[in-house]
Amino acid sequence: MTDRPIQTEDRTANLFRKKAEWHRRQARLPLKEKVRILLELQRQDYPLLRRHRQMEWWEEPWTIEP
Amino acid sequence: MASLPDVFCVLNDMKSDGVIEDYAIGGAMAVLFYAEPTRTYDLDVFVLLPGPDQTIVTLTPVYDWLKARNFEPRAEHVIIHGVPVQLIPAYNDLVVAAITEARQLDYDDVPVRVTPPEHLIAIAFQAGGGKQRERAYQLLETTDIDRYVLDDLMNRHGIQAPWSGDD
Repeated sequence: MTDRPIQTEDRTANLFRKKAEWHRRQARLPLKEKVRILLELQRQDYPLLRRHRQMEWWEEPWTIEP
Repeated sequence: MASLPDVFCVLNDMKSDGVIEDYAIGGAMAVLFYAEPTRTYDLDVFVLLPGPDQTIVTLTPVYDWLKARNFEPRAEHVIIHGVPVQLIPAYNDLVVAAITEARQLDYDDVPVRVTPPEHLIAIAFQAGGGKQRERAYQLLETTDIDRYVLDDLMNRHGIQAPWSGDD
């Protein structure tokens, strides 16, 4: 019973550490791969954003290759 | 289909043809060179315009040059190979430094000038706002930042460092 909060803290700290590591790994990806991810993010987010707000005319997924 | 290096080639041509004195990629695209990708739908480019008088700023010669190459300006953007590019004339000394001290990087063997990460952080804190602060901390947490260069920039341009404890 008494050590449960400590375990939860450890698990939370571990989760944050893993998340930070993932962000650092993403930052070190090759540039072209990062641009590919950006183009994918543009495509995925576009319909969601459009549902929630009026988009500017230029806010559209880019029609280019990385 | 065009690719991102094609866009960078146009920026380099603008410089070599003398319609701009120099440039540096800014905003989320510049962050992408150093940190993880975040969504953006436009490409910010800081530009130094030719001529000694930077107090009267006109992008007309730049837009004329782009129009002659079938890149049509519309409002504050110009679509270059399908990418909305916003050309931002250097609006203060910090942005001038971002351009003159830009890093020359390579993307698919195309040289491209990119605002250094320390300048991106300083510009973000200078601009203020949640999105900008998020960008600054993203760089601080995942990128190798020269803290001496950053502190010097923040001091020189009178930007309050959030980590100074006085915020």
